[in-house]
Amino acid sequence: MNESLLFLAAFIFYIISAFYYFSFLFSKRENLARIGYKFAFLGLIIHTVALILRTFESGHAPFTNMYESLSFLAWSSILAYIIIELKYKIKRAGLYFLLIVIALMALASSPLMPKEATPLVPALQSYWLWLHVSVTLLGEAFFAIAFITSIMYLVADSKKNKGIKSGLPPEKLDSVSYRCIAVGFPLFTLGGLVFGMVWAYYAWGRFWSWDPKETWSLITWFFFALYLHTRIVMGWKGRRSAYVAIIGFLAALITYFGVNYLLAGLHSYA
Amino acid sequence: MKSLWNFFNSVKLAIFLLIIITLASILGTLISQNRSLDEYVARFGQWGNLFNRLQITKLYQSSWFIALLCLFALNIIVCTLTRLAPKLRKAFHPKVEIEAKKISVLKIKEKFKKNIGLDTAKKELKKELRSRHYRLKEVKKESKTFLLARKRILGWFGSDVVHLGILIILAGGIISGAGRFRKDLILSEGDIRGLPKADFKVRLDKFETEYYPNGSVKDWKSTLTVLEKEEPILSKVIEVNHPLSYKGFVFYQSSYGWNWTNLSVGIWVRKRKDPTFLRKTEMKVGERVWLEGENIQISVLHFIPDFVINDRNEVTSRSLQPNNPAAFIEGWQEDEKIFSGWIFSKFPDFARIHSEKETDLSFELKNFKAGQFSVIQAAKDPGVNFIWAGCTFLMIGLALAFYWPTREIKVILEENQGKTEVIAGGIASKSREALQSEFEKIMNSLRRSR
Repeated sequence: MNESLLFLAAFIFYIISAFYYFSFLFSKRENLARIGYKFAFLGLIIHTVALILRTFESGHAPFTNMYESLSFLAWSSILAYIIIELKYKIKRAGLYFLLIVIALMALASSPLMPKEATPLVPALQSYWLWLHVSVTLLGEAFFAIAFITSIMYLVADSKKNKGIKSGLPPEKLDSVSYRCIAVGFPLFTLGGLVFGMVWAYYAWGRFWSWDPKETWSLITWFFFALYLHTRIVMGWKGRRSAYVAIIGFLAALITYFGVNYLLAGLHSYA
Repeated sequence: MKSLWNFFNSVKLAIFLLIIITLASILGTLISQNRSLDEYVARFGQWGNLFNRLQITKLYQSSWFIALLCLFALNIIVCTLTRLAPKLRKAFHPKVEIEAKKISVLKIKEKFKKNIGLDTAKKELKKELRSRHYRLKEVKKESKTFLLARKRILGWFGSDVVHLGILIILAGGIISGAGRFRKDLILSEGDIRGLPKADFKVRLDKFETEYYPNGSVKDWKSTLTVLEKEEPILSKVIEVNHPLSYKGFVFYQSSYGWNWTNLSVGIWVRKRKDPTFLRKTEMKVGERVWLEGENIQISVLHFIPDFVINDRNEVTSRSLQPNNPAAFIEGWQEDEKIFSGWIFSKFPDFARIHSEKETDLSFELKNFKAGQFSVIQAAKDPGVNFIWAGCTFLMIGLALAFYWPTREIKVILEENQGKTEVIAGGIASKSREALQSEFEKIMNSLRRSR
């Protein structure tokens, strides 16, 4: 068994899982969602093995180029979903979330992404690579769930205003969004900003250089800080809160993708 | 003064400043920073001058951006202090006595009568609360006993600790920006260099570049020795990600380069018509060597590491890296120059040799041996310890705020004809469901007691 085959197998399991969640949305049979969840879980296990194999094959952390990093982001997103679903039961979000994961996996398997493991450039040879990237991406995965539940909130809320009953009560979606951000925000702060600063200090001799990726991760952090303050101190809930969460996730997306392709800087490797 | 305080004591101001700072930060990533004025004018025309005047071209160091950050810091200080005082009072001098009305409006509450005396009920309740790590305060008034049970009180202060962390980080940033020292030391093996305001020197003992099998750089390693009064104190091999720290200075492996002044060049000479003919020669620049078995001397007049011809048609080196090494060679027969021209190590077929006389020889620039120098960044950053302290507070604060929710249980016990009336309510700063179930367990244990 090699890594790319396992990656493909995990990809297929995610697609099957999405298919079950899709049928669940239309047939309303809880059982289908449960099968979808199981497939997502199996996919996660296979994906985990793929990442471990990749680590052994390449001899370094499995997130040093875009392919690896996308694959790892997909993995952390599934992990985050498995946890959130277990705790808060938001089956109806399953399909939308798996679609994001499938998009990430598809992007990772696109021929534009070089897949071969390349030896690490000197700047990346550090255990901070593990801490910085894994914790940051895990935090971003929770932001992604909050993004989905926030959009679902907006839809459910407007349905409610028109008197249509929606699958998940809007109040629950609002609260799950908040809880995801309550997990994602400390993780993102620790991995993205704190570990990032420590590593930058050891590698480049400066803890902060206003490099575009650093700046955008700070911008992302500002948006979620805004979310927390408007919500906790000013009592925003519902629609306005959902909009802030959505913008925050878009900022995270720019930090992750946009900066690599649009803005040059120190983070040129991944 | 009071109105100024009130101005800064506003969450709305904080949100406004946060949005402005965010937008400014975005602007700074859209306009590339710290370029020359000419570049901005070339790119944005007249706007370039305006950007420059508004300091958008070095936005994050601009006076207005730093002023915004200072306003924001002031805003955080005032907001935090105003909210801190009542919280401290609540934490250290709480009001234990409470009206039943105030409990009845809580979301978590219970009211029941129990067939035991007040003292027994109180003892049971206290035992149960203590076993769940609650700290208790008790007040007796007339026939009533008031109990206040609390745990994880630090959770209330999570946001304050976060704010303190952010302020320390901002202070660290300002100290670092004002007092940071940074200098690139270009060192060849054996070089000794001092630093301003340092009572020691550093010596580069050894510098080597390690390569992967595919030719890309694996690592640069510099062996540095710290000298005090000419005496070696300590030695360390530094590499990227592994700097040397000594007396507040940190030495980073930052870059490397080639020392092109004293190099030797290897040239292979072949004959076109005789495939077996091969002479390997090695010479320093300017030196003339005999070609073995031939009546010809060759020499290298110039060596260029990164050959390029500029707009003025001059040969020059684009960089100091050996990206396109080229040598200008000459051939001599007695005192007569018979050929001269450029040969390239990466483009052997591209040789441009002008011959005065017919010659069958061809030349390849096979290798060169040049010393490498190491670029070591010496830095002293007085702000950095503030940053780490600030980060620690930030993370502790976030953990407290999100995962250490304060729980309060307020109880009124009143004895009435041998029975005890229990009125109890619970308040959680976060995750109310968890307190709800704990609260129920506590109340049930009291109900079951006899």
